[in-house]
Amino acid sequence: MKKIKIILLGLMLVVSACSTDLDQSPSNIASPESLTDFDGVLNAAYNYQTGSATPIAVMGDFRADNTQFDESPHNSFATFNGDVSTMEGDFFQPFYSALYKSILSTNIVIENSSNARHIGEAKFLRGLAYFKLVKVFGDVTLNLSAAPSTEDTSILKRKPVADVYAQIVSDLTDAKSALDNSGLSSGRASAIAAQGLLGKVYMQMGDYMNAESNLAAVVNGAGAAGLGLMPNFADIFGSGTDLNTEVIFATQISGSIAISDYSGTTFPLWSNGGDTKSDEDPITADLVNAFDAAGDTTRKNATIDLSGPSRIAVKYGSAGAEQDFIELRLADVILLYAEALNENGNSSSAITQLNKIRSRANLANVTATAKATVRTAIANERRLELALEGHRWFDLVRTGAVNAEMGMNIDSNYHLFPIPTSEIFASNGVITQNPGY
Amino acid sequence: MNLKQNIIVLLVLLFNTSLFAQEEYTIKGIVTSQADNTTLPGVTYRIVNTDKGGATDFDGNFEIKVQKGDVLEFSYLGYVKQLVVIEDQKTLAISMVEDNTSLDEIVVVGYGTRKKSNLTGAISKIGGDDVAAVQATRVDEALAGKLAGVLIQNASGEPGADPKIQIRAASSVSGSTNPLIVVDGFPISGSLATVNSNDIQSIEILKDAASAAIYGSRGANGVVLVTTKKGKTGKPKFSYNTYSSFSNKYRDNILKTGSEWAAHSRAEIAAGNWDVSQIDPAFLEYRLTGYENSPDEMSVEDFLYQTGNTTSHNFSMSGGTDDVKYFGSVGYQDATGIVRTQGFERLNARLNIDAKLGEKFKTGISFNGFASKRQIVGWDVRDLSRAYSVHPIYHTEASIAFVQALDQQAQALGLSSFDSGVNGGATEALGYNRSIYTLEPGDYVNDWHYGRANNGIGGSGDQGPAAKLDNSERTQRTYFMNINSYLSYNILEGLDVKTVLGGDMRDTQDYYWRGLMSDAKGRGSATNLDQTDVKVSSILSETTLNYTKDFGKHNLAAIAGVEFQSTTFRGTSLDGTNVPNTAVVNFSLLLPADIAVKERDETRVRKSIFGRVNYAYDDKYLASVSIRRDGDSRFGANNQYATFPAVSVGWNAHKESFLEDNDVLSKLKLRFSTGSLGTASFLGSYNSLSLLSPTATVYGTGFNIPSDVANLDLTWQTNTETNFGFDLGFLNNRFTLGVDYYTSDIEDILINQSVSEVLGTNAIKLNSGDVRSSGVEFEFSAAIIQKNDFSWNVNANLSTVNTEITDLGGLDELPRQPVGQSGRDVVFRNYVGGQIGEMWALETAGQVEMKYLEDGTRNPNNSTGEYYVIDQNNDGVIDKTRTVEEGGDLVKVGQNTPDFYWGLNSSMSYKDFDMSLQFQGAQGAEVFNIDPYYYGSQWGGRLVDGFKDADGRAVHNGMFVKGAKDNLDANVQDASYLALRNITIGYTLKQNLAKKVGLSSVRVYGAATNLLYLMADNYTSYNPEGIETTGDYNGPTTSGFQVGASPVVRSFTLGLNLNF
Repeated sequence: MKKIKIILLGLMLVVSACSTDLDQSPSNIASPESLTDFDGVLNAAYNYQTGSATPIAVMGDFRADNTQFDESPHNSFATFNGDVSTMEGDFFQPFYSALYKSILSTNIVIENSSNARHIGEAKFLRGLAYFKLVKVFGDVTLNLSAAPSTEDTSILKRKPVADVYAQIVSDLTDAKSALDNSGLSSGRASAIAAQGLLGKVYMQMGDYMNAESNLAAVVNGAGAAGLGLMPNFADIFGSGTDLNTEVIFATQISGSIAISDYSGTTFPLWSNGGDTKSDEDPITADLVNAFDAAGDTTRKNATIDLSGPSRIAVKYGSAGAEQDFIELRLADVILLYAEALNENGNSSSAITQLNKIRSRANLANVTATAKATVRTAIANERRLELALEGHRWFDLVRTGAVNAEMGMNIDSNYHLFPIPTSEIFASNGVITQNPGY
Repeated sequence: MNLKQNIIVLLVLLFNTSLFAQEEYTIKGIVTSQADNTTLPGVTYRIVNTDKGGATDFDGNFEIKVQKGDVLEFSYLGYVKQLVVIEDQKTLAISMVEDNTSLDEIVVVGYGTRKKSNLTGAISKIGGDDVAAVQATRVDEALAGKLAGVLIQNASGEPGADPKIQIRAASSVSGSTNPLIVVDGFPISGSLATVNSNDIQSIEILKDAASAAIYGSRGANGVVLVTTKKGKTGKPKFSYNTYSSFSNKYRDNILKTGSEWAAHSRAEIAAGNWDVSQIDPAFLEYRLTGYENSPDEMSVEDFLYQTGNTTSHNFSMSGGTDDVKYFGSVGYQDATGIVRTQGFERLNARLNIDAKLGEKFKTGISFNGFASKRQIVGWDVRDLSRAYSVHPIYHTEASIAFVQALDQQAQALGLSSFDSGVNGGATEALGYNRSIYTLEPGDYVNDWHYGRANNGIGGSGDQGPAAKLDNSERTQRTYFMNINSYLSYNILEGLDVKTVLGGDMRDTQDYYWRGLMSDAKGRGSATNLDQTDVKVSSILSETTLNYTKDFGKHNLAAIAGVEFQSTTFRGTSLDGTNVPNTAVVNFSLLLPADIAVKERDETRVRKSIFGRVNYAYDDKYLASVSIRRDGDSRFGANNQYATFPAVSVGWNAHKESFLEDNDVLSKLKLRFSTGSLGTASFLGSYNSLSLLSPTATVYGTGFNIPSDVANLDLTWQTNTETNFGFDLGFLNNRFTLGVDYYTSDIEDILINQSVSEVLGTNAIKLNSGDVRSSGVEFEFSAAIIQKNDFSWNVNANLSTVNTEITDLGGLDELPRQPVGQSGRDVVFRNYVGGQIGEMWALETAGQVEMKYLEDGTRNPNNSTGEYYVIDQNNDGVIDKTRTVEEGGDLVKVGQNTPDFYWGLNSSMSYKDFDMSLQFQGAQGAEVFNIDPYYYGSQWGGRLVDGFKDADGRAVHNGMFVKGAKDNLDANVQDASYLALRNITIGYTLKQNLAKKVGLSSVRVYGAATNLLYLMADNYTSYNPEGIETTGDYNGPTTSGFQVGASPVVRSFTLGLNLNF
């Protein structure tokens, strides 16, 4: 009996002496300090851009005269007052959130990576992200740090548009030098994409001289890079052909990979009647008339379908959730080049470029040479060529044609979209709202 | 007289005396308990003023030699002493009555027990029988209204769902308010639901810091100590309890059917309240007659809700010898909920064994197993209620004919045909019906079969509620097992060492399926097949040294101990989409690319050391001191340890000489306690670290931005609490009143602070801020009538709680959080000087009248959904981002904590009948009830053109008009209620009848739950207690909004208790 008691007592002591460690960390997840190769962070930066695709597509076309919603509260896109801020949860907030995550990922790569190619791609993505943000919101917070302060809210103050553009230009210029064109075949950033985007940025800024030189380089270097206009307009779109010769850069979207932040209906479905909020005539009569006035049947038939009870889009076919979002394609570059040439006084070269697009669309050449006429021709061509790709509204704002094309007097405050109110709250007012909202 | 004669006389006298002296004879008898007629072993009996006596045996028998005139005294712990004068009885039948003065009642405190009279802290106790008497699916639900300071809110209303438990004030700004649950000394990782209410001996709630401080870092939300039944020496006793109940939802008829709507519409139009001038009269008539003539119309409420029923069986046995005692039980419960597809099933088993090994060793082992399956409604009830109640749920021949005729009428009026409204994607190949001309009886009815708002009487393009429910499923299975063993050794007299080793494991599986046919467009991306399996296992080892000693009038009890606990979480979750439409649903049928797999592997470790000394002098002057030091792996490397002290004192004034003989005041006890506790609140295992999570991208693995920013200083929240209390007792404690006033100061609060998305995450965790709370609790009990065959006891409790944020680490306010559903929000504000989780919104002055709707007949249950809003400062602008003080228009509209909550319990017994009533209520809380925004105005809300001007003002009266997505107070409703929670009437069969069938007691009872449930006038849904604990919910800072909560249930029960 004594032995048993001793054993039992011993057991008690042993059990109490269990040692345990208070420094626990998980074995299956990484921490930033442990990374040596920033491939994964760069991939995440690309992936975050997917969250901005549908919001900008919706803002670009539904705010303008190409498409429309028929149900409340989405029809607030068609009224130019503070009402559209009810849509922030559906569109503006996921857009903002996804892009800033992409920016933070690129900052991590830029600050820490030793791979020049990765840094180039990261700078491209950062430039692209800030470009989208500044087009939509105007002044925005400029974060270039991989570990922004959590306490100091002054870093959140919105920077003026000019400063943001300066940063974008700097990033894209660096990207252009650091990259080559091998990314074109895998959907990643490339030198020509950086240059094309740089040209587009200069156009948005109104700097036609710099725009022209960059866009010229792209148009002239397209052949060498393996790019060219697709002979058949309809072949540019759809999941099977989305890495075609015309696409310079597209945000890769796959049906089996979750889209970052945004969870609503995807952009092809908003315009093809796939959501009840826009299933009654999503395509405006105005767009139909524009196609008819231009006598454009090729693009009209490839873009919209009028055979049913409702005017719906067919541009993206049945791709639905698989359709990549085209950020930059050759036709867009050519049209911008034409516009830059025209603004810089070279109308004849401008119409040479314009006619490339027109002949692909089986339309007759434009022969006018008056600057204003050519300008209008290019603007109309842009509308028909790039319909439903998220460009229309931003083109109208950029060229100052908003009131003329929309047919009403719109306060310039409403050329921009509202900053998500959660940002205003979270920064305790350091981030301010856009006037009018 | 000479000496010889004296001696003879003396002898004769003595002899005679002994002859006259009564003979000693042996008296026998049996001692039973009056309450349930069971025999009582171990009852002490003695002849007063002698040392002759003994204790009753296993069967309650006793035998003693007595003489006439002796007084026999019977005493037993917890029972009133009985004195019997011996005349010449040969046998005695003693019936012991339970003592309700409970002066010597033992109360379980942390790591030990204490006499109730020596307690200095705020502890509430409830007996196991009171808990088992309430027919609830869970123990925690059964506690509602029974204890002061304990608020139980039936947050979801579903059977088997976790209620929200809050002891005193919320000690956490983010994170749950759930208290620590300790079962037989082991803190379990499961909830109270894993304990079978029939197994409970008593529940003690440690409310103040001094009582809970011994649990240190987990005690800040209060501690619930559950003690389960143990065996007693004696023959085995068996008990079988069963009940069966049926239930219904309490409130009816919130939604209107088509014909009711038509009648209402016609009346309103006739009265001129609606303006139908902008509608084509032919179309209007077509629509109204459509509503009226639609055959077999069924209200969605009638389809969704059903009569639920519950059956429960429980069997237990207990017994033992002096050396080994055991208690075992098995329980089973099966409930069908009141909402279609809702159900709950559970199985419990328990075995407690306590043994003595020789004189010095005591050991025991306890095993509890629990398995449950909860069938949760697979679809949001709020969304299901949006379907129009103008048609049946499944087509009949009449409804098909009607629909086709209606379509013809629509086309005759020049409207588009119903079939043209069908959306692309849902093809016949997938099994969808694309035309009303190919419908068969028995097919699901979808709203679009009846047209849409612009050409018929139907509403949405979605599938009907039956299709949604048939094609969705949500199940939660839980398996829980807890094993606990202890070994205790008596080193010296009064000094024991005890070691406890225990473990528990909880395995939860959550399964969710949403099938293709539930989506009207047949979109694979709208389908889900999700399964999450998490195993939480925890091992605890605790060693304590206990010393108890009485030195004369001094009583000392001390304890010192160390404790280690390690918890691991291991799990995987599968999220599948593009689920094919097959009869059997299985992950192997999905494409690998459509399944996202996540895994979880976490470990948390805690190390602690603690000690406590309790001292009592003459049972009058009481003091207690405790201290605990905890270290937890969840905190930042700089701050892993913290120390928590507590001290409390008490004075049993009624034992003082000046009150001892007072007949009226039998108890006067004053108590004071203060201490500090810590809590880790809502922290996950690795929140002080910054971790990248892998994700799939088109290019390969990507590393997502960490959702936490590394914080080495992340540490405990510290809660310092002070409690003042006094207990009064009158007339031998027949009436008692306990009053407690507490204040608590929480520092270094852990909050989920909203930050700008620029940081890559929208919230970070930090310790920042200070919250002060206070409250008063009253507990009153009265044994109003105590006669032989009639007794009536009442007890009542009332508690108040107030919280104020006093500091936010330099900020004036935490970032405001708009919280709600799909943009229909109110703004939750947490600012210095306010309460936690205040709801702020624009003040409305009524809904826009129906006559300004373009077409009021469009949707049954229609309301305009737009509200007149008051411009608080008359500046011509409605600013929903700023408060009135800041120049905007936001005002405070409510908060979800009640001003006070109360319970009233009355139990009566008359001869063999017993009746108990339990009332419970809460007053002063508000809830943001989102549902009416949906079934009221979802498809309506189109006001006539020209109603508003460019500023958003109504042209006819200049008032601003805003919609539901603009932070309105319109649906912030009063969540006060008063309920007759339970009424039970029971009848106990007479003892001799029971014995005839071999049972020692039989009781039948009938009960009703929520027989009466009064809600506030402005509350328009089914359950004012319901609040959302998922989605936008972020702890107490955003608590108080309700989305599709399951209704309050009224049920009727019939039950049986057998003991043998």
